[in-house]
Amino acid sequence: MKMKKVLSLGLSVLMCATLLAGCGSDKNEATSAEGKTLKIAGLNGGYGTAGWEAVVKAFEEKTGAKVELQLEKNIADVLRPVITSGKDVPDLIYLSVGSEGGLVDTMIQEKAITEITDVLDMKVYGEDIKVKDKLIPGFTSSFSTSPYGDGKLYLAPFTYDPCGLFYNAGLFKEKGWKVPTTWDEMWELGDKAKKEGISLFTYPTTGYFDAFFSALLNETAGPDAYKKAMEYDVDTWKSADVKKAFEIVGKLAKYTHPDTVTNATTDKAFTKNQQLILDNKALFCPNGTWLPTEMAKAPRADGFSWGFTALPKVTADGDSYSSTFSEQVYIPSKAKEVDLAKTFITFIYSDEAAKLFVEKAGTVLPTTTASGFIPEKVKDESGKEIDNEKKLFYSIYDNGAKSDIVGFKAVEAIPGVTLLTDKGILYGSVNAVVNGTMSVDEWYNQVVEAVGKYAEK
Amino acid sequence: MNKKKQKRNFVLICLAPAVILFTVFMIYPTINVFLMSTLKWGGLSGNKTFIGFANFISLFKDMNFIRSCQNTIFLIAIVTIVTLALAIIFASILVREKIKGQNFFRVIFYIPNILSVVVISAIFTAIYDPASGLINGFISLFKPENWETIKFIGNESIVIYSVAGALIWQAIGYYMVMYMASMSSIPEHLYEAASLEGAGKLQQFFSITLPLVWDNIRTTLTFFIISTINLSFLMTKILTTGGPNGASETVLGYLYNQAYTNSSYGYAMAIGAVVFIFSFILSAVVNKATEREVLER
Repeated sequence: MKMKKVLSLGLSVLMCATLLAGCGSDKNEATSAEGKTLKIAGLNGGYGTAGWEAVVKAFEEKTGAKVELQLEKNIADVLRPVITSGKDVPDLIYLSVGSEGGLVDTMIQEKAITEITDVLDMKVYGEDIKVKDKLIPGFTSSFSTSPYGDGKLYLAPFTYDPCGLFYNAGLFKEKGWKVPTTWDEMWELGDKAKKEGISLFTYPTTGYFDAFFSALLNETAGPDAYKKAMEYDVDTWKSADVKKAFEIVGKLAKYTHPDTVTNATTDKAFTKNQQLILDNKALFCPNGTWLPTEMAKAPRADGFSWGFTALPKVTADGDSYSSTFSEQVYIPSKAKEVDLAKTFITFIYSDEAAKLFVEKAGTVLPTTTASGFIPEKVKDESGKEIDNEKKLFYSIYDNGAKSDIVGFKAVEAIPGVTLLTDKGILYGSVNAVVNGTMSVDEWYNQVVEAVGKYAEK
Repeated sequence: MNKKKQKRNFVLICLAPAVILFTVFMIYPTINVFLMSTLKWGGLSGNKTFIGFANFISLFKDMNFIRSCQNTIFLIAIVTIVTLALAIIFASILVREKIKGQNFFRVIFYIPNILSVVVISAIFTAIYDPASGLINGFISLFKPENWETIKFIGNESIVIYSVAGALIWQAIGYYMVMYMASMSSIPEHLYEAASLEGAGKLQQFFSITLPLVWDNIRTTLTFFIISTINLSFLMTKILTTGGPNGASETVLGYLYNQAYTNSSYGYAMAIGAVVFIFSFILSAVVNKATEREVLER
């Protein structure tokens, strides 16, 4: 009788204990507190985790500090409650402006990021050169790193990705086609290709238009007007030069592969659009230098080889532009180890870290020396050594193309008005333009109206 | 005296956990939503500004919100009517007719209901694929070479029907099985008497089956409408991410975008408040409209 009581009590205690099974954390606890601990959280995205892990290890060896690295595919969702609570906020976050989840953009809006202008005058870790001289010019003066337009640096540029048009160079050689250098040549090629059942253009999702459209704006309106446009200057947006960019996209819409909108709409189906290039169903696709790595395992047509070009010029004597896309790292304002985080940023720009990043992950830092470390040869799927295509992509500016950096000035959000994201008025409408349900004029007028609303604030 | 007090205390203690949980997880968040809807807030930091009903005023002028409401109401109407109609018909056939493998059909019909929305979206992405999907592939067998495939998700006018199709497919089994259960309890002699008096199968269905399961249908109707509001959000989030340029955006999807992508948390909470009130009113209306006298067996 007593045994029964003891047994039933024991069982109920056991049942209650299983309630606590849900508690417990995923993160590795810091086993030692040798020196200080730096908490880094970031995206496990197209570049993976190998680069970060190697650089973090090197940093730990050099400084004796302990680093807690947390890289997740859905880092924005993971970090949001942490940032909201303000407790245990990471010291350094690797996530880009405009990324899914809107975390970075909201933090910029709410001024929740530490200013890091002083990092520019610090020396690169282990080297005798200042950070501002090591970085490629232009990267720290864009709105993605200096969002308030006040000359102060808030986000540190992390990657250096030229964006342009990818195509199958093998197909062009086979057909004897020349890569167009002007938009008129582009339309001619489009008509030629249509006769063979190949579409001129496709795009992964409308989100990829940020790099494409920025370059196009620079081509039609020039870099000064582009800068004003990024500051929501309504008169610039109302000019005919800016409207021309919309019209070019409108014409391009007619040459777009018919399956594009469907694949761009379904979540995560954008690789199907990228596949169209590999299957010779479409000629050009705007993208960044991560594309070959992303499609490494995809099947492709015989004789396929990656080609990469800047956007065609508007006039024969105009300029050809290719946007440079950059990811960012930043220090939240509630971080504990701000100085250690700044030291880490100076380490990222060192040659040692740049080498590790490019060898382990294919990530190229925006420093003057980083693209020199891209290995000449890499191993393909079967283990055979082949030329590293990345070297080709980074030489795009050597052939006369000019670069511009993507990014609008940070402004207060307007409820109900979304201009910039992949579903916003500026880029999201492209799906409707391609479908033919929205005219270029309608699209243009909606954008100008939205810009006006932001300008009023 | 003591015993009565003891009994009352005991009852209170037993009810306490449920009441506390309900208050903390249901009542408090709901009040919070209404409070937050009066703020201008980015969603992360503590900078909140009180702006009263301004969010609601801009909400009713917002064309995107109106469109997402239209999409949601359309989905609720179509999915509910078609699902329940088909579920009742299938249930009635499976119960009344002596079809072989009745249990087998029950299992097959029910399986879609246990799949997660992510799996269903993946299945329907493949079915609706514009190049080599199930439907397009099947139709192209009968069509000439140059026929342009149907863009189920890319075409703004039909994307909402594609979403409705996925939702109906997922829900039919559950309701069919439920109606089968309630229909099986209708005594056979009622049907025998009816057929003796010359009533055909169809007439028997409308005069006997339907009225006797009406109470069951009523309960599931209210339940289904509310769950469709939620499910339509999940389905459109994954299958169409709001459709080409917002063509399949649902009201909850719009709420999500405003809260997280557009940093307008207060505005999103205003949308939440509107959806909350709307669901209440809708349930009340549906309940009243379908009220009938409960028939004695």
